[in-house]
Amino acid sequence: MSEKRIVLKNCEVIDPRHITTYLTRDGFRALEKAQKEMTPEEIIEEVKASGLRGRGGAGFPCGLKWELARNAPGDEKYVICNADEGEVGTFKDRYILQNDPFTLIEGIAIAAHAIGAKQGYIYLRAEYHHLLDSLVNAIDQAKERGFLQHVDIDIREGAGAYVCGEESALMDSIEGKRGEVRYRPPFPPTKGLWGKPTIINNVETLMNIPQIILNGASWFNQIGTERSKGTKVFSVSGDVKRPGVYELVLGTRLKELVEELALAEKVKMVQVGGATGRLVPYDMIDTALSFETILGAGAITVFDQSRDVIDIVYRTMEFLAEESCGKCAPCREGTEAMVEILGRFFRSEGMEKDIRVLEELSSAMMLSSLCGLGQAAPIPVTDSLQYFRNDYENRIK
Amino acid sequence: MRKIEKITVTIDGSQVSGCEGMTILELAQQNGIDIPTLCHSPELTPIGACRICVVAVEGSRTLVGSCHTPITQGMVIYTHSPKVLETRKVIVELLLASHCGSCYMCEKANVCQLRKIAADLEVGLPRFQTRKRYYPIEDVSPYIQRDLSKCVLCWRCVRACNEIAKQNVFGIAYRGFNSKVVVDFDQPIDKEVCQDCNVCIDICPTGALSKPREVGEEKKGRPLVISS
Repeated sequence: MSEKRIVLKNCEVIDPRHITTYLTRDGFRALEKAQKEMTPEEIIEEVKASGLRGRGGAGFPCGLKWELARNAPGDEKYVICNADEGEVGTFKDRYILQNDPFTLIEGIAIAAHAIGAKQGYIYLRAEYHHLLDSLVNAIDQAKERGFLQHVDIDIREGAGAYVCGEESALMDSIEGKRGEVRYRPPFPPTKGLWGKPTIINNVETLMNIPQIILNGASWFNQIGTERSKGTKVFSVSGDVKRPGVYELVLGTRLKELVEELALAEKVKMVQVGGATGRLVPYDMIDTALSFETILGAGAITVFDQSRDVIDIVYRTMEFLAEESCGKCAPCREGTEAMVEILGRFFRSEGMEKDIRVLEELSSAMMLSSLCGLGQAAPIPVTDSLQYFRNDYENRIK
Repeated sequence: MRKIEKITVTIDGSQVSGCEGMTILELAQQNGIDIPTLCHSPELTPIGACRICVVAVEGSRTLVGSCHTPITQGMVIYTHSPKVLETRKVIVELLLASHCGSCYMCEKANVCQLRKIAADLEVGLPRFQTRKRYYPIEDVSPYIQRDLSKCVLCWRCVRACNEIAKQNVFGIAYRGFNSKVVVDFDQPIDKEVCQDCNVCIDICPTGALSKPREVGEEKKGRPLVISS
């Protein structure tokens, strides 16, 4: 088994209400080490050397992001923790926030020290409102103990938009604007929140930081594959006997997670990465889970043989059309057009030419949309056309 | 003061140079390359909403919006590659699919930028059968008439009102396909501040915003004489 607990080390071990239980397990020792024994540049070097990549789905090298923000001119900088876990089928961040808010706070504190930020934000998903009190309590306790003297951490709540998990829409939302994506460049590390250098990291990315600082980059570097270091927390749901949160070393086979750990049977396909994730048919279930192959934010949705692919893709597209922010034309109009075409296939009223139209539309949306939502929205369509083309052809009137 | 750097890029195969901070679109226009734009207007801050001005840049996974992407040293740009043209066509097709399509009845038909771009890109009847946007015409105000069925959500009126007129009358409400340029909490426009400024009417690329027609206006022009 390749289960390994780095991120979830303290989950269900410590009491999330009391900082003392965290302190007995090396709590805030990494922050102390970072502040007393290391310069900000050394911290960034350490994170860079560890090979840690963003766990929110895009996999951007974490250290590089920090370095860009550190070197960007300006005194006012921000750290944002993206806890807007909106991807369909992910619940790993909820599990982390519920069980171990202290490691996250320590991670944010180290990040703030590294880039020179005096203000940090946790952008909490509207649906996670019930976690607010526990997070506020954790921040207050850390403050009382004097760990947060260099940075203020505030919590900002979202209002329920999927697109606000996208970093630029998230910043708009924190600024009090309508959550809409911005074009890039400029990227957030040079011009982010209120036009100031900002780093935005996923909850899970920041959870790795304290351990990298404590145990060193070379320890972290040994875990995982060549370009995917460390572990990844997966949320497994769907047609499985044991749904839940699993932490695996990167590079583990999908088969192991789905069949051996989550005990799925008669699998037809697995969607890796949520609504806009890749579809993996059963004969490719030996694929490794890593940044080189497939990963996303770690949502693993398993579908067994009783499920209809077109139904799944159609409903996914309905969701994406509703959640499109409406700013750029390919995403706003394209998702709507896809819903219409897929709806006809769903009702077995497809037309021969629709398949080609779907392919051309997918390509245009992927190439020209402003943000990840529009660029990734056609993935379920193109993947299902690649692996389950018969299902489409059988639905032609 | 810092010196403004010269930047050399390759655009459609020829080497040209521009200044630091210039966008791809500006450089292309300076060199006589025509890139179609819809939401862009030189007097407004770029927004990158319509995506019609996308171009291919070597090394980039996706196409990039030329109206907002600054040039960088050594950039290799293709403004009219088959992939670029195909993508632009699909976008225009999508916009036409939800557009009301009553060009024959539209006063701005001959100056409509959507129609012009569609003709330039040789886009015919769209293949998509999406819903048409339909909103009742707003003609409460004596100064401005809004027919949002013709709106392509380019944000030009929103930005023009904020940046040029400085009145901040318009905003965007709802999301996805239902996004709409609204006044206050989606009320018909009857603002005191909206009087004779006309900035948004002149900048609207389609017939969504127009001046209300006065009774008998048609008869005020010069008589039409058809000479043989």
